[in-house]
Amino acid sequence: MTSVAWKPGSRTPVGMLVAALIGCPGLCPAVSAQPSAEEILRRVDANMTFDTARTTARMIISYSDGDVRELEFTSWAQGEDRSFLEFTSPARDAGSRFLRLGPDLMWIYLPRVGKSVRIQGHMLRQGLMGSDFSYGDASENPSLIEDYDAVIEGQEELDGRPTWILHLTGRTRDLAYPSERLWIDAERWVPLKEERYARSGRLLKTATLGDVRQVGGRWYPFRVTLDNALQADTSTTLEFIAFELEVSIPDEIFTLRHLEGGNL
Amino acid sequence: MSESRRRLPLLRLAARNTRRNTRRTLLTMSAVLAAVAVVTFAFGYINGLLDDFLDSWARIQSGHVRITQSEYPARERFLPLHLNIPHLGELLPVIRSHPDVVEALPRIRTAVLVDNGDENTAGVVIGADLEREVGYLDILAMIQEGRAPQAGEAGLLVGHLLAGNLGVSVGDTLTLLGQTAYRSLGGLRAPITGLTATGVDPLDRVTIFLSFEQAQEMTYLDDATTEILVFVEDFEEAEATAASLQTELDPLVTGGVEAVSWRDQGEIFQLLDMADAIYAVIMFIFLFMAGLIIVNTMLMTVLERTQEFGMLSAMGMRTSHIFGLIISEGMIIGLIGAVIGGLVGSGFALWLETTGLNMAKAFEGMDWPVSTVFYPDWKLSHLIIGIALGVLTAGAATLLPARRAIRMKPAEALRE
Repeated sequence: MTSVAWKPGSRTPVGMLVAALIGCPGLCPAVSAQPSAEEILRRVDANMTFDTARTTARMIISYSDGDVRELEFTSWAQGEDRSFLEFTSPARDAGSRFLRLGPDLMWIYLPRVGKSVRIQGHMLRQGLMGSDFSYGDASENPSLIEDYDAVIEGQEELDGRPTWILHLTGRTRDLAYPSERLWIDAERWVPLKEERYARSGRLLKTATLGDVRQVGGRWYPFRVTLDNALQADTSTTLEFIAFELEVSIPDEIFTLRHLEGGNL
Repeated sequence: MSESRRRLPLLRLAARNTRRNTRRTLLTMSAVLAAVAVVTFAFGYINGLLDDFLDSWARIQSGHVRITQSEYPARERFLPLHLNIPHLGELLPVIRSHPDVVEALPRIRTAVLVDNGDENTAGVVIGADLEREVGYLDILAMIQEGRAPQAGEAGLLVGHLLAGNLGVSVGDTLTLLGQTAYRSLGGLRAPITGLTATGVDPLDRVTIFLSFEQAQEMTYLDDATTEILVFVEDFEEAEATAASLQTELDPLVTGGVEAVSWRDQGEIFQLLDMADAIYAVIMFIFLFMAGLIIVNTMLMTVLERTQEFGMLSAMGMRTSHIFGLIISEGMIIGLIGAVIGGLVGSGFALWLETTGLNMAKAFEGMDWPVSTVFYPDWKLSHLIIGIALGVLTAGAATLLPARRAIRMKPAEALRE
């Protein structure tokens, strides 16, 4: 097995997908032809990272009691740190906004409250609007090149696609997910499955990615389903409705003033 | 001579014997006295403590009967708002018109993030009908500073310790964020109109009281609530009321509600069992210690009077009478000690019923919602049971010395 370090600007695939929604893009490293762990990660980065993105998505939260909630939102993301997300439906949640200006710099704004609140500490681990995606999943942007070592564990066919299985091990103790296992499509270089583990080895979250489409010459998963093992009665699916890359985003969007009531 | 006529001189003889060694009699008596005083007081004290706890618990948490959505209790630690009781406007009059029901109070409890603009902390919102709660969860009486919000006014009553932690006071504005009945994110921004002190620090560190209407608005619980606390005339009859309410409400609510008496709400039972166990241990320790002293002193009595028992035996007194004589002596001393002890314990309990016993120090740092001043609840039965236990302990403790006395042979006893 080959052990490699992650490159700057890279991140775990679900993180990248969430990054596409609310930020954290980076530049893509060059791709080589060798299917080493490093090469696989570079090819994944090439598909999953970007400078700016505008996304419209549907979030479907399914509960074990049969209840299903559907929310829609639009998000703008720029660079590694800046993102803005606004829910547009249902009507009672419309106007709920989230702004991130960097690691641990995240604010919520609810129209009925009329004032932004900064999310800190353990709150970052809570579910975004009651979903399985935590605020932390959205706002954290770990430099995985510094934080993780990666090894190839093997190959496997997943949903009819050949995949490489990578295992990531955190180098520092302060990571939300000290280890992860990724299934990477061996031809399209997008993650199809991701398992995130606690230090104890306990599985925390499982992400299943699908509906892989070509956008601007790259492959990108348009659907991700996240199961949170600690929130057993729910499962959340994100479906991209629109996904635009390298769009022009005014700086004004990423401000508290805009968060608290400015129109786009 | 008939047996009954013989017993009388035996008791008279036993009574006279208790005066032969006054010091020893007083020692035995004081052991019984102390034990019975403690036991009698403990009866009243623990009774009062339990009553106080049950009363506080009922007012804060359980009601005499609590009505919730059927699945709510199992998931209560998450305070899930989506598991709510709908059609409140229709259900409340039905519950309140039940013949056993004195009051029915809807409440909403929900976890929130409390933000002062700079920092935030976790809190719990209790939305309640401030006027109707007087005499129950008497929020108005808890206001330490400021005032209650007026009808329709968005205002917060914040636990004084929570306010202290956040560095806010009356007039400042707080933002609350929490879940909604639709499992989404909701909130409220409102000024603090008052600071509250429940007397229970763990509550004062997290609680924010809101008017019921404000809590409904914040959580999107329109015409709904998370719980209804029902209070009845006689809380011992709460189980019957719960069953009757269940029958009445079942056809009215789709999805199901559950009416549960305080007795069937788990935590209370654990506490009652714990209190019973503590009480039994206290009683056993004190009575056992008293018993040991009695065994000792009575044994000394028997040893000292070996010749006397030998003489009585040689003169033809039956061993059963000697046995009875010694037991009677023990029980007479026990009775006098127990009566005085019972009166002392009762007097102390009755005195504390008016002054109260401040246990704030003992309960410091403990995380349970009861007041820290306890009032014993003395009953005549406590005195009677205390005295009976004292006399029986004295009698039982005398068995060993009495057995020793009757095992002596007259000739040997006379020689000693």
